[in-house]
Amino acid sequence: MSSLMECSLETIINIFHQYSTRLGHPDRLNQREFKQLVKKELPNFLKKQKRNDKAINHIMEDLDTNGDKDLSFEEFAILVGRLTEASHEEMHKTAPPGEGHSHGPGFGEGHSSCQNPNQGQGGHGHGHSHEGHGHSHEGHGHNH
Amino acid sequence: MLTELESAMNNFIDIFHKYSLEKGNYHALYRDDLKKLLEAECPQYMKKKDADTWFRELDVNKDNAVNFEEFLALVVKVGIAAHEDIHKDHNH
Repeated sequence: MSSLMECSLETIINIFHQYSTRLGHPDRLNQREFKQLVKKELPNFLKKQKRNDKAINHIMEDLDTNGDKDLSFEEFAILVGRLTEASHEEMHKTAPPGEGHSHGPGFGEGHSSCQNPNQGQGGHGHGHSHEGHGHSHEGHGHNH
Repeated sequence: MLTELESAMNNFIDIFHKYSLEKGNYHALYRDDLKKLLEAECPQYMKKKDADTWFRELDVNKDNAVNFEEFLALVVKVGIAAHEDIHKDHNH
């Protein structure tokens, strides 16, 4: 059984490969693959940029640190870090006022198939809540 | 509704807070917090680097705590290592 971190990283790697294998080098995203990935997989995190091809190209140029016009997983991972940070900031911007630590909805609510590692096979498990955590996700066996 | 990729990224925020909210500053992982996180979340990446080594490496501003931004460097590094491992496994 893998941890939430391992499962989440695996999800990210799998989605990267879903696009990187389409054209050209199977382990690199070219401009078209990156554009498809942004539009389909990051519609909420890159809401403003997704309809603007120039903005997407600009993000890609910025990430392409070795300048080979393709994105390796190493280069893509930097985007993962930046977007996670932006999402965290958004959760704090949208947090209800008050003392203590709280998060608002941020860029939106989501369902991750990693939340309940016990039911990765699409079976229906016992949704247990994470104690000491702000919110709990009940297991509905969602597995898209 | 967030996508699977976006939700996976948000999981890192949950992981960080699970350990950072235990004590002290809400956005600080102290040395023992980081050790617990590493042991629970990515024990196989502690073989080459123990918890203290990770802590020294991640605490870039040397304030004796790993903040969220510093934690993301761990996510990126472990992610890159996990990607390499997946390709190694496939070549077997």
